[in-house]
Amino acid sequence: MLRKLSVFLIIAFMAATAHAVDGDALLREVDRNLEPPSYEMYRKLINIEPDGRKKEFVLYMVRKGNEKVAGMFLSPASDKGRGMLRLGDNMWLYIPNVGKPIRITSLQSATGGVFNNADILKIDFGAEYAVEKMEEQGEEYILHVKAKNKTVAYDRLNIWVDKKQKLPVKLECLTEKGMLIKTLYYKEVKDFGDGIVRPSVIETDSPLYKGYKSVMIFSKIKKRDLKDEVFTLTFMPKVDTLR
Amino acid sequence: MIRRGFFMGVLFCLAVVPGLVTPGAAEDYSFDVSETETKPYSLGGYAEFRPVLIDQDRGAAFYKLKFYNRAKTWTTDEYNSKLQLEGSYQRGISKLYLRANADLNNTYQGWDNDLQIYEGYLSVKPSQSTDIIAGKKVMRWGKGYAWNPAAFVDRPKNPDDPELALEGYTVLTADYTKSFDGRLKTASLTPVLLPVYRNLNDTFGSLNHLDLAAKAYFLFYDTDIDLLYRAKGSKPGAYGADFSRNISTNFEVHGEAAFIAGNSQTITDKNGNTAKKVFDAKSWLLGLRYQTEKDATYIAEYYHNGGGFAAGTMTDYFSFVDTAYASYIGTGNAALMQKAVNLGNSGYGAVNPMHNYVYLRVTQQEPFNILYFTPALTTIVNADDRSFSLSPEIMWTRITNFELRFKAMFLAGPAGTEFGEKAGNDRYELRCRYYF
Repeated sequence: MLRKLSVFLIIAFMAATAHAVDGDALLREVDRNLEPPSYEMYRKLINIEPDGRKKEFVLYMVRKGNEKVAGMFLSPASDKGRGMLRLGDNMWLYIPNVGKPIRITSLQSATGGVFNNADILKIDFGAEYAVEKMEEQGEEYILHVKAKNKTVAYDRLNIWVDKKQKLPVKLECLTEKGMLIKTLYYKEVKDFGDGIVRPSVIETDSPLYKGYKSVMIFSKIKKRDLKDEVFTLTFMPKVDTLR
Repeated sequence: MIRRGFFMGVLFCLAVVPGLVTPGAAEDYSFDVSETETKPYSLGGYAEFRPVLIDQDRGAAFYKLKFYNRAKTWTTDEYNSKLQLEGSYQRGISKLYLRANADLNNTYQGWDNDLQIYEGYLSVKPSQSTDIIAGKKVMRWGKGYAWNPAAFVDRPKNPDDPELALEGYTVLTADYTKSFDGRLKTASLTPVLLPVYRNLNDTFGSLNHLDLAAKAYFLFYDTDIDLLYRAKGSKPGAYGADFSRNISTNFEVHGEAAFIAGNSQTITDKNGNTAKKVFDAKSWLLGLRYQTEKDATYIAEYYHNGGGFAAGTMTDYFSFVDTAYASYIGTGNAALMQKAVNLGNSGYGAVNPMHNYVYLRVTQQEPFNILYFTPALTTIVNADDRSFSLSPEIMWTRITNFELRFKAMFLAGPAGTEFGEKAGNDRYELRCRYYF
């Protein structure tokens, strides 16, 4: 009896471990399909109000590994020259008039609207989250992931992943207690060249901003090697010189 | 009549808004390649119109200093307009940058115009680690939001509006930055040469000096740390340090300390007898920035201004102003009033001239889900005499490139206190800004 129970426990433990590894491996694959580890890209952020009025922002962004992301607003004129930098858990905003970087938090929004700084300066899911549970639902997997530490913007995520393309389809951002903060919809898969095939549009809405919607459009994603010094406070006002 | 003029200014400002509103459009998301094109040059800036209505305090010392030889008035209005142009031209590793500011104001003093080059420099970047800059530049040292005691090579900023662009000084400077793996992530060195001669930085300090200053920056254990230094020259020698760190994702703390050796101060007694005081000034600031789950941001700072005036010294100055004003009214002789004005310009009239201050600003981002609408409440308390200012404001940025801010300021304090002796009791300001 004891031997049978031991065998059962070992098999159950191995199955559980294999399941978790699968989920984390899938999350890593999703990360790599979304973005190369070191890149440059352009993004357009559109905030859409219930009556259809829009406000648009264009950003140039660079990233190196899972610690370093930098960006600069190219338009509109009121935001041109604003810089953003992420170094690990540290985030700064550079406003040309203020003339020096100030520390910001991941929950703040540099653009207003539904996207916050963590959405804009996003790094790999796998760097910040661990898979707790994985489900299958038709053509998709659902990954239930939990933050590895308290420094992230959202405590939990539910990620719907397309089984074939290994790309996210939908993502729910939740609080620790499971309250929905926002939902991201990944749309219009596009070939950016150099093996990068990924959704080119992310739409988001939030029960906290009823009727409002924000959209992020990606363009010109290219792998690029960058020096570490690009991701420093002194370089923040000069990020556009990399273009 | 004055109020009618102010409200006409406000109406003019608001009348511009509808013309800038773009109608809603269908859901078509496009990202035109032309929006990401790189150009060697850029040109932009903003135009601003800012009508102001001030309710004057006719018994206040600074009212007397401003209006002693003018017609008395309970209210004054101002119509300020500004054009700020920013341009750059990049070629290879070199970049030319210019920020020019033109003001045209109609105040109680009549029409006034001013054109200044705020910044204008050549930047050469031989590598991504190095940047050599020659020209007029704002350095913006220090981590404080409202005050920067360690900004050794900058003009003082206005704590009532700390994010306003400042005019720089003509310098030769460089940034050398190195990144590392480990606890020390970044180290950066910024030496500054600042010549002070006739017609070149001549408002910085005493003439005929080539001043040297330097800043060393470290990102160490996720903490921004600056060490700051200014050699003795046009101004006394100074040492400083600052830091900034996130305790959690929504809670930041910062601090700043400065030691100025041989700081000089001209003080007066209640009869106008002046004396020069030389002492080592130790200033410091501690602050925090906290964001709640409901998107309210609190910025709080405590500032000890070691170079400031003691409460008794300030009271003596206000008494002297009263004496000088009584003398002017009685005899018509403005000599004492002029002396009081000069003393005001030499330090007593600074924005926050005393020793200890508390700053608190609460900003609520987009309350009631109203996008681009940001109300804020700011208070500056003089901890020595308990007088204070209270400034509610609302900012509206819904229309692309258009920014509308309404700000009121109420000053409170009995006679003989800093805010009680400012010229105005309260002021109302509308700022309409269009970026292009």
